[in-house]
Amino acid sequence: MNLRSNRLATAIALMALPLCAIGDDVEPGSGSSVLSFSGFGTVGVTHSSEDNADFPAGIFQSNGAGHTRSWSAEVDSLIAGQVSARITPELSAVVQVIAEQNYNGTYTPHVEWANIKYQFTPDLSVRIGRVELPTFLFSDTRKVGYTLPWVRPPIEVYSLLPITASDGGGFSYRLNSGDLTNTTQGSYVQSNTPEPDNRGTAMARNSINVSNTTEYKSLTFRVSYQHALLTISSLDGFLDTFRMFGPQGVAIADKYNSDDKPVVTEVIGASYDPGRWFVISEWAHARLNSFLGEDTGWYASSGYRIGQFTPYVTYSQERAASNSDPGLTLAGLSRPVAGFAAGLNAGLNAILETIPTQHTVSLGARWDFAKNVDLKLQFDHMRIGADSDGVLINIQPGFRPGGTVNLFSATVDFVF
Amino acid sequence: MWAAVTRTIVRQIYSIASVALACTVSLNISVARADVVAVVSSKSQITALSKNQVLDIFLGKRTRFPDGSSVIPIDQAEGSAARDEFYTRLADMSPAQVKAFWARIIFTGRGQPPKSVATGVEAKRLLIADPTTIGYIDQSLVDSSVRVVLAP
Repeated sequence: MNLRSNRLATAIALMALPLCAIGDDVEPGSGSSVLSFSGFGTVGVTHSSEDNADFPAGIFQSNGAGHTRSWSAEVDSLIAGQVSARITPELSAVVQVIAEQNYNGTYTPHVEWANIKYQFTPDLSVRIGRVELPTFLFSDTRKVGYTLPWVRPPIEVYSLLPITASDGGGFSYRLNSGDLTNTTQGSYVQSNTPEPDNRGTAMARNSINVSNTTEYKSLTFRVSYQHALLTISSLDGFLDTFRMFGPQGVAIADKYNSDDKPVVTEVIGASYDPGRWFVISEWAHARLNSFLGEDTGWYASSGYRIGQFTPYVTYSQERAASNSDPGLTLAGLSRPVAGFAAGLNAGLNAILETIPTQHTVSLGARWDFAKNVDLKLQFDHMRIGADSDGVLINIQPGFRPGGTVNLFSATVDFVF
Repeated sequence: MWAAVTRTIVRQIYSIASVALACTVSLNISVARADVVAVVSSKSQITALSKNQVLDIFLGKRTRFPDGSSVIPIDQAEGSAARDEFYTRLADMSPAQVKAFWARIIFTGRGQPPKSVATGVEAKRLLIADPTTIGYIDQSLVDSSVRVVLAP
């Protein structure tokens, strides 16, 4: 959707608010109301020990904790409202508007999701509009802090597919057999996500997504696959410069540009949650066939519930297939040309360093101190790969790869 | 000598009585702990369900009884003792965990929680009126109009 339809959907959502306020029952708990309003949010601060780079919650943020601000409230804080409408027993619609740190540093609300669902049978539904992709176990509610055991989903895995909303359509089919519930979801979507610093957009088209979730008692198992064509033109100017160097330069430009390049993501995830404790693990592999490279990430996390407290520990890691490239062969080039080529090679390698390689040990606790509100404290100890910037952004000249970064986060999540 | 035998007998009686008392107390405790039961209308064909089946129905993961007939769950209000006990018994889920579960469904537009009522009496009234529904009520409210399908 473009900016105009974004505004339109916001207007529709805002107009719907007074309607449900005068309804006799606006409790999300009532299955019978025609319109229901609900919302969620997070207020939090994050401190980073690294002064020469920012830690963001996602790659579409323009700043984070560390360089821009030692203590940043912009990493996790957000607020969202949602209107759900049940038009007939089969037909329903949902509009969700979020105010969070945008790509340009503003907090202008945007339409995260706006879709219409038709429930053919209790087990088969179709949705059209702006939808989420159920890639990871928590990707559909990654912004709803209250639904997460952690402050935020492990960034080493969730940054592999950072797009949260796409436009298109999809189906969901559920099958019950004994104690087994199997849900298959498929969608065909596209998205156009603005990048920070006026770098243009990340445009994904012909995106085909399939996921299958199997639930057996306390066990949940999900596999998902995504294939899309991704265009990010912000580096085209730089990469095209390589073409001046004949076939080897052309090969480099073609290898690293992101001009309608196929992107393949595979995810396997499982969780076991019998109530008192949980273990969750996910593995993901993304191959982007461009300067965004190829990355594999996984995490394992476990927590134990003691009354209102749920302490947890997480280990997560992400490894780039490569963070470097020899670039142009300098031998045989005249001195000034070789100097120029060496500069291009250095530029290329600086870009490849942005493909994250890092691992993190996290310790934290969730405290459900009041109804519909939780407080979380989390400490992350990240080790950045030797040739990588990790997930950090706004890299400053003083930054040294291969170091460690400590993060401390405190958040309050709420739903209403 | 008789005095000694009497003392022994009395001691035996005491110990038997105290064991019996202990049994009664523990029985009372277990009865007290089995307060909330899942019920359907006595006109329903359903006679028994497993914990997992009942949980799936209340969490919206299944919309049919095992015999294939459709089912509508009737929940009780957030914060009510019956609700808290029901989900603790059924799945060791705290009120916050149940809330977080529904937040995941609501904020993906996948659905809304079941209709909830303020009291067990209200739940029972709806249950009796509609044999396709299932609810949970305090054991003390059980009579011939409803059938217990699970005592979690």
